[in-house]
Amino acid sequence: MLFNLVKKDFILAKKYWLLMLAFAIGAPIYVETQTHTMSGGLLGFLVTVLLSEYMIFNSVSMAEDKYKGSALLSATPYTRKTLIKAKYLFILGIFVGCYILYTITAFLLPSYMVTLNLLSLGISFLIVAIYYGFIVPLQYRFGYEKVRYISFFAIFIVPFLFPYIWIWFQSRNIDWQTIFLFPSVIQELLLFLLALLIGLISMLVTIRIYSQKDL
Amino acid sequence: MNPILEVNGLQKDFPAFSLQDVSFSLLEGCITGFIGVNGAGKTTTIKTILGLVLKDAGSIKLWGKEMDRNERELKNHIGIVFDEGYFYEDMSIREMKNVIAPSYSNWDEAVFDNNLKRFQLQPRQKISTLSKGMRMKYGIALALSHHADLLIMDEPTSGLDPLVRSELMDILLEFMQEKGKGVFFSTHITSDLDKIADVLILIDKGRIVLNEGKDVLLDKHGLVKGDQRLLDQQTRKMFLTLHETEYGFEGVTDKKSEVRRYMKGVLIERPTIENIMLAYVGGE
Repeated sequence: MLFNLVKKDFILAKKYWLLMLAFAIGAPIYVETQTHTMSGGLLGFLVTVLLSEYMIFNSVSMAEDKYKGSALLSATPYTRKTLIKAKYLFILGIFVGCYILYTITAFLLPSYMVTLNLLSLGISFLIVAIYYGFIVPLQYRFGYEKVRYISFFAIFIVPFLFPYIWIWFQSRNIDWQTIFLFPSVIQELLLFLLALLIGLISMLVTIRIYSQKDL
Repeated sequence: MNPILEVNGLQKDFPAFSLQDVSFSLLEGCITGFIGVNGAGKTTTIKTILGLVLKDAGSIKLWGKEMDRNERELKNHIGIVFDEGYFYEDMSIREMKNVIAPSYSNWDEAVFDNNLKRFQLQPRQKISTLSKGMRMKYGIALALSHHADLLIMDEPTSGLDPLVRSELMDILLEFMQEKGKGVFFSTHITSDLDKIADVLILIDKGRIVLNEGKDVLLDKHGLVKGDQRLLDQQTRKMFLTLHETEYGFEGVTDKKSEVRRYMKGVLIERPTIENIMLAYVGGE
């Protein structure tokens, strides 16, 4: 059941697929050649995944808002909880898709791009989780129309803010290993765990919001 | 006859409208017409039954089971047709079906394909290109393809031409051939119900005003026509509604025997459902 609802969101965004595919391949090449892969692929991947998620997620939200299809789905044996779970899985699906495309492109064009390391992937995953962890519940609470300006502003500010935050962290020479007393691999995995935790909390909040909504 | 749906003390408050103590039952083997003018509360009641609108108070039972606690199981036995459709219009008929079908444990692909053929719907056709009538037929094809026992339809005939409306009536009669089925059909076009309804429930301003068998209701009420001189303070009280002209009057009464006794020479005709509805909601 969950898979069919995720598929539904991918079908709703089908007219953007070709464009997104081109973007998901082209954008990291462009960013990485401009930054000479200094960020270890992080910036290229982050910009790509954030913008891809934003465009696809928004096009689906727009269709949901226009056709009110979730009202029909909620009248079928699909529960509201399932609909929300599928939405989060959809966001995860786009992330995984972007990662696969990035990895394939990096493999085919090694002189332009570097393969994404665990740290870069973890940071990207965490940022996506934080962003959608806020945006999805807000959207279900206040509606697509009201939240789209906030999400638009937020998504475009992240790539600009990110280099400054990155430089700030590097200038401080923070030794994460002494702070957390874990080997770096564990720390990197903690990023994923934290992202999943944020996603899970956000999902529970959204389920609660949606279960109290009149459709 | 066993009750399929039991609604008791349903309450829902909106800032400008409320459902107030809505109670009724639907019996198996019956087509129940849910009538009322626009904004009377028909769609809100249906949405509340289906859990799309959250109730403030009351209980909804289907086949004796609480809807709140058995939502998934019970919805498996309900077919729904909404006036608005609520379809993702960018999808094709097949794509939309592929989203809906997996939610039903007893979905029957062969029945769906037969319904598409019967209604001359092409699986690859985009929903946005369907006419209002075709969209309604598609809604019915979806609603009838999982062996539903209760069909809930919200204003399915609004905006449809008479031919399609008549086709829909035939489909409903065909659906009712099987034992244990029921139809709950909301409409403000009461003429649709003249042919097929067994029971009528009238809602007005969020309250149930009438709930009776159609034939009983039509027998109990009379459309009275007569000379205006027959109207006085006493006889006026016998009417639910009165329309007076300089030549005479026309009114709906639920006191036919009294009218016969005290108003000699009047003509008492069988009213239409619309006459009765308007008499109770004050539209005439």
